[in-house]
Amino acid sequence: MAVIAAAWMLVVLGACGTDDDSGAARGGAGATIANTASGFAAIERAAQGQTVRWWMYGGDDRLNAYVDDVVTPAAARAGITLRRVPVTDTADAVQRVVAERRAGKRSGGGVDLVWINGENFAAGKRAGLWLKDWATTLPNRRFVDPADPTITTDFQTPVDGQESPWSRAAFVFAADGARVPAPPQSFDALLAYAKANPGRVTYPAPPDFTGSAFVRQVVAAKGQDGAFAYLKALKPFLYRQGRTYPKSEDELAQLLGNGKVDFAMSYDAAFVRSQVRKGTFPKTVRPFLIEGSSLQNVSFVTIPANASSPAGAQVLANLLLDPALQAKKADPAVLGIPTVLDAAKVPPASRRPLTASTSGPYVLRDLGRPLSEVAADEVAPLEARWKREVLRG
Amino acid sequence: MTVPRSGRAWGVAVAVVFAAPGCLLVARALADVWRAPAILPQRWGTRGLDVALSGRALDALATSTAVAVTTTALALLLAWPAARVLGERRLRRPGLVLAVLALPLLVPPYATGQGLTEWFVRLGLVDTAAGLVLAHLVVVLPYVVAALTPGFGPRLHALEEMAATAGLPPRLVWRTVTLPAVAPALGAAAFLGFLVSWSQYGSSLAVGGGRPLLPLLLVPFAGSDPQVAAALGLLFVLPAVLVLALATRAARSPL
Amino acid sequence: MNQVWRDRAAVVPATLVIAVLFGGAMAGAVRTSVVPLDGAPSLDVWRALFDDPAFLDSLRFTAQITALSTVLSVLLALAAALALRRSSTLLRTLLALPVPVPHLLVAVTAVLWLAPGGLAERVLGGLPFDLVGDRHGLGVVLVYVYKETPFLALLLLAAMGDELAGREEAAAVHGVRPLQRLRWVVWPAVRRPLVTGALIVAAFVLGAFEVPLLVGPAYPGTVAEYAQQATKGDLIAGEGTAAAALLVTAAVAAVLALVAVRVARGGRR
Repeated sequence: MAVIAAAWMLVVLGACGTDDDSGAARGGAGATIANTASGFAAIERAAQGQTVRWWMYGGDDRLNAYVDDVVTPAAARAGITLRRVPVTDTADAVQRVVAERRAGKRSGGGVDLVWINGENFAAGKRAGLWLKDWATTLPNRRFVDPADPTITTDFQTPVDGQESPWSRAAFVFAADGARVPAPPQSFDALLAYAKANPGRVTYPAPPDFTGSAFVRQVVAAKGQDGAFAYLKALKPFLYRQGRTYPKSEDELAQLLGNGKVDFAMSYDAAFVRSQVRKGTFPKTVRPFLIEGSSLQNVSFVTIPANASSPAGAQVLANLLLDPALQAKKADPAVLGIPTVLDAAKVPPASRRPLTASTSGPYVLRDLGRPLSEVAADEVAPLEARWKREVLRG
Repeated sequence: MTVPRSGRAWGVAVAVVFAAPGCLLVARALADVWRAPAILPQRWGTRGLDVALSGRALDALATSTAVAVTTTALALLLAWPAARVLGERRLRRPGLVLAVLALPLLVPPYATGQGLTEWFVRLGLVDTAAGLVLAHLVVVLPYVVAALTPGFGPRLHALEEMAATAGLPPRLVWRTVTLPAVAPALGAAAFLGFLVSWSQYGSSLAVGGGRPLLPLLLVPFAGSDPQVAAALGLLFVLPAVLVLALATRAARSPL
Repeated sequence: MNQVWRDRAAVVPATLVIAVLFGGAMAGAVRTSVVPLDGAPSLDVWRALFDDPAFLDSLRFTAQITALSTVLSVLLALAAALALRRSSTLLRTLLALPVPVPHLLVAVTAVLWLAPGGLAERVLGGLPFDLVGDRHGLGVVLVYVYKETPFLALLLLAAMGDELAGREEAAAVHGVRPLQRLRWVVWPAVRRPLVTGALIVAAFVLGAFEVPLLVGPAYPGTVAEYAQQATKGDLIAGEGTAAAALLVTAAVAAVLALVAVRVARGGRR
């Protein structure tokens, strides 16, 4: 804790020394007054009538529906127009922010809120792209556990109030219970399964997000060198002898659904339910864990320092942490994604619906021992090593 | 000339090869469950259509149409004089002009994504409707010039001069000689221009300011949700096919 | 104003729009490849690019796909145009059907048909070889040939108007044999549109990622896929690499264009 606090101080002080652009200055000022309830009231007033452009992944119909049908009306009640900009990859949003930085556009930017990934967050933070010191002072932050390391750090980068949590992710596997009633419980068992059933196992090729997370999951279990020795040993028994891999978690899900392989995987703890709903999986598919543990991670939203509507974006980030909206998101009928709130901190009346995401056959009641993510700058080297040693090797 | 029998065989082959994928798209859009080994969907349903038509799909249809029509009209206006001069080979050294005009065809649109965004931010065009049309225009213009140029030539020029010498007023020359001669090329150019604008993804995202446009809705679903992608795909293709029909007719019976 | 200047003025608006808007974008792409965000100019990105075996693999793969797709589409389009040039409007319209369908949708449909567990496999009980995800990019080539052949065939049919038919008949009357008619009457008429069309196809295939992304193998990818992967996790670290990689394909396309101009000009001797 002390280390995090010290790092936080360092980064903040360092940043204050180097950055003086108008967006950050405005945000900084906003954050200082936001320490009091009346401070946030001022932000809420400033947000009236603003349009917030939220750039986020647009390929999940239920997530889109959650934003359009639940978040957008709530934002409208707060006087904000939410415009969802659907993208295929976070890089599309970051590209815009970077282009504006290159062009010297210090305010009035085209991105107000981004659903950001750990690596882009870390790189953008280093470059001073994000609004500073706003996330920890949001009123609904009181429902979040301040000591939870998955919330204070993102891929080991201190968050420092530059991004706000909104969703929780855990890495789970899936198998068709009708076909594989007892899926492998360890990576060694998975290798044994692949040897006994050649061609029935595969994983998406890094740098796909899911494939990369699978490699990190193996690294967490076996150490880096052990993991690469394992993946090389696994390769000849993979689908198509490891000559080709699916390119995404959805392609892998379709292979499982069409009976070509026996396992799928995702960083979305509720993905089995959504694939069953889409008709990709038969109803007999169930999630499971390997090694009794899962990589766990929080999804964040961040505000670019040059956003056009920084106040509106903060109000929206605060809304995303609202217990009622989080409960909707945890509701299996809506999304079934685990909450980022600490149920113990939420008023008793709102507690029960928050834990609804753990009910039903398509989700795990217990996500196992949480594995923390590697540092953001270790991800790309891992992917490069996989390409070099496993894919080309 | 009668259609020979081999022609009919060809016809059937072409029809099967080119129509079957379209039918598949319709079937996929209406299949809620369609897993191997089933040859026909296990369950028909409207989830794809519901998702495709919910949200801003209809807005996107309108915006995409407006942008594509505006861009195409503007492109035809700019391309007409250039195509005439190029088609009649009136420039002694057309090399530089051709090179500039071909540039957007040769450089992958994806390559200039970052550069285009930055440039449009600098010009203050980013997120404006005019900026969106201009971003499309850059990509559309080369296709339109390329399609329009073959419509002009020395022969048309000679015909026009003959008509003018015969005493026809310029407007009548244009209507009775120029337009009918250029009509097929004009139809092709309009069709191609519309299509290219209609399908723009990268530049629409980069400078569109979050305006709903069809490719922006469709692309994220392409890999993740075949049913929704197929349903949005139908919405995407139908107007394009309609324009194809219109352009074909326009090429046959001008105005 | 004299005629020469009036002719020059006629091409100015179109040329200027592209020179200003596209030129600025190009300049930005070049700068992105040599100036990192908030950094000093350097050629590190370019050096690293040509040292990366994965990039060289993707360059080879892209060249192979481009060559195969273009050559096959050209041959098939020639055959189709020759076979269909006296046929009905209906046939031509059918042939034109894939033209308005965007590449991405064709790729989506191809996956539905040809992927492992796809419809073709279900109907035939199995495919003898992989098309989707094949390491040599067979599926990618197939999709491009399917999509580009009609486009080229339409260009050719447009060039094979009534006038050409008349000249051919005249040649036939004078006893010129079919193959010779093809060489000396038809070929000169279609050479230009064919070369232009082939160039458009090749340049497109060189720089596109939609079809290879959905239909191609995980490795190697096309250069555009390589560029996309470079920016996937961390855009700031990868944007220079992506820009440089795509500028390489732009340079290749420019060289192809020069060759194409030479070939097309051959007809004016």
